[in-house]
Amino acid sequence: MRNSALWMILHKMRTPFLVIIISYTISITGLLLIEGMDANGNAYQMTIFDAFYFVTYTATTIGFGETPFEFTYAQRLWVSAMIYLSVISWFYAVGTLVSLLQDKLFLSQIAQNKFKRQVNNIKESFVIILGYNYTTSEIIKIINDSDIRVVVVESDQQRVDSLMLENFTPNVPALKANSYDAHTLELAGIKSKYCKSVVTLYKTDELNLRVALASKMLNPNITVAAKSTTPNHTENLKDLGVEIVENPFKIIASHINHALNAPNLLKIERWIYQIGLLSDSLPTLPHGKYIVSGFGRMGKEINKVFEKNNIDCQFIEIDSNKDDKKIDKNINIIYGDSDDKDILTKANVQDSVAIIAGTNDDTVNISILKTAKKLNPNIITIARENNIEDFSIFENAKIDHIFMPSKILINKTTNALIKPSADKFIKHLTKKDEAWGQSLVKRLINTIDENPKLHVLHLTKDTAPAILEEIEENNDSMKLEILKRSLSNRKISNNIVPLMIYNSKDKKELLLPSWDEFLREDDKILFACDSYAIDEIEYIAENYYELHYVLTGEEKSKFKLKDKGI
Amino acid sequence: MNFDKVIAGFFIIFAMTLNFGFFYGELSDITMHSRYELFAAIVINIIATVLKLGDRTQMGSVLLATSLVAVIQLIAAASVWAIAGYNVVISQETTAVIVSLSGGALLANITSVILYIGETVKSKR
Repeated sequence: MRNSALWMILHKMRTPFLVIIISYTISITGLLLIEGMDANGNAYQMTIFDAFYFVTYTATTIGFGETPFEFTYAQRLWVSAMIYLSVISWFYAVGTLVSLLQDKLFLSQIAQNKFKRQVNNIKESFVIILGYNYTTSEIIKIINDSDIRVVVVESDQQRVDSLMLENFTPNVPALKANSYDAHTLELAGIKSKYCKSVVTLYKTDELNLRVALASKMLNPNITVAAKSTTPNHTENLKDLGVEIVENPFKIIASHINHALNAPNLLKIERWIYQIGLLSDSLPTLPHGKYIVSGFGRMGKEINKVFEKNNIDCQFIEIDSNKDDKKIDKNINIIYGDSDDKDILTKANVQDSVAIIAGTNDDTVNISILKTAKKLNPNIITIARENNIEDFSIFENAKIDHIFMPSKILINKTTNALIKPSADKFIKHLTKKDEAWGQSLVKRLINTIDENPKLHVLHLTKDTAPAILEEIEENNDSMKLEILKRSLSNRKISNNIVPLMIYNSKDKKELLLPSWDEFLREDDKILFACDSYAIDEIEYIAENYYELHYVLTGEEKSKFKLKDKGI
Repeated sequence: MNFDKVIAGFFIIFAMTLNFGFFYGELSDITMHSRYELFAAIVINIIATVLKLGDRTQMGSVLLATSLVAVIQLIAAASVWAIAGYNVVISQETTAVIVSLSGGALLANITSVILYIGETVKSKR
């Protein structure tokens, strides 16, 4: 039923209503039966309406007095009994109503109705985010900056309250409910045509899988972004058709891979994720012997990278029962506490170039690195930081490289949702080599600056009408180069580097296209540029006069409305 | 036997019988219609309505609707009577209005009873 809060009130108020009706009936009947006396001393029988009127104002303790005539003693005797009956029943009804308004179930129904109304009122694209914590709150902040709205489902009331205190603008509707429930997802608007995607980044893979399954069943057209930390679940998610599968450990491993082989690619990636500048020092890792503490999900991903790069690596795992059968005999594992000096010495810490503390406990990670540093002052320390709250501790611990799975999730999710082109670019980027990365970094810094902005131009009738018309008229002879010309002087170029052209129609994906590339309808072009250039690109794309100037160098003098055929 | 069902059935049928008792008689003759019978009919009809409040089944909702119709018609009849009662003599027209309003309520009551019987017959237990 749609309005269950109202039904709850009605259901709970049944008994109080009955009590009121019965007490009123008894009181009225009594007044009707007892004979009164009018002003002249004649016998007088109360009418039903008089009796009802008297009972009504007496029961509500208003007490207008004895009407229509002064009561006899027989009537007064009855009224004194009747007052207790009717007033108590009246207060009972009011009391029930008040306690009902404070009832938890009732309040949650009200909150649910309000949430539903808020979601229905969103008339623009929105994203459903499941679970509210540091990671998702950062994601919400970034998504709210774009034109996309956010809806949150969280199972813990305290977290919902803290979301309310955050005062997001635009407002973020939040519901306290179990997100794996299909009904909850429906309430959150998963079937709405405005719902673009569902983000599920829970700690447990099973929960993410379950949510992804429910979401895909309810609405196959939406994009699902799910976290998955094991190959098994990743496969299951892919089978379901989940578009964005995020494994933070895999991303960390690929970062380590880049740091070993192509630090410039990692630098570009960090710039796109906005966690570093292009002018930062190179995030390199040396080749040599590594110690990795923790052979869990992260340890296994790192192992794959090291195997590929032929790097000698010693694992230390505290739990000797962990995945006992599956472990390859070729992997060096010492079982024991990696915090222990003897164990670290046994792992040959003196001869190692770097140590990675990858357990899921921040205190242990710092302690491992401190011990290792004491035993080998030259060792490079790499830590996994699990809780964002420990940030200042890690900062002061002077660790060389810090990997934060939660921060990686934030960047990956927002990029995939808001800037799919940047996400696509990174995917291509990982296949390139160091020389390619180095030249791109140099080109970006030289033409733009150390922190260029990303801009996407989509050639459609809405976003680039001038260019499309020109393409139609002049038979596809429009070159990419016109977009870089300055509007103040067409011979000067703006600070732009085209990163990628792709077209979803003919599956064309071109990295670092040359300026002579021809433009076609429905192309998406990803630029790195400064904010001035973004303005000019949009002018050229949308305005016939500006486009005419950059094409010919002449001002268009005649007033001409092309699309009206005048 | 379910005690709740006994109560519900009792009030639905009682509401109809009382209403019929008031309605039966010469349409324009006020002496044929007891005011106390109308009062009792109103009380019982309200109780029958309240018993259906918050019932989320299909049958419960329909019964609530028919009882609400009956209650509104009867209260309208009582109001007409109370207002007309300020004149010493109640005219034939007013009587006709009061009685025919209760007649409409009676139809709603009969509908309730038919629905109730229909559900009982359908019930397997």
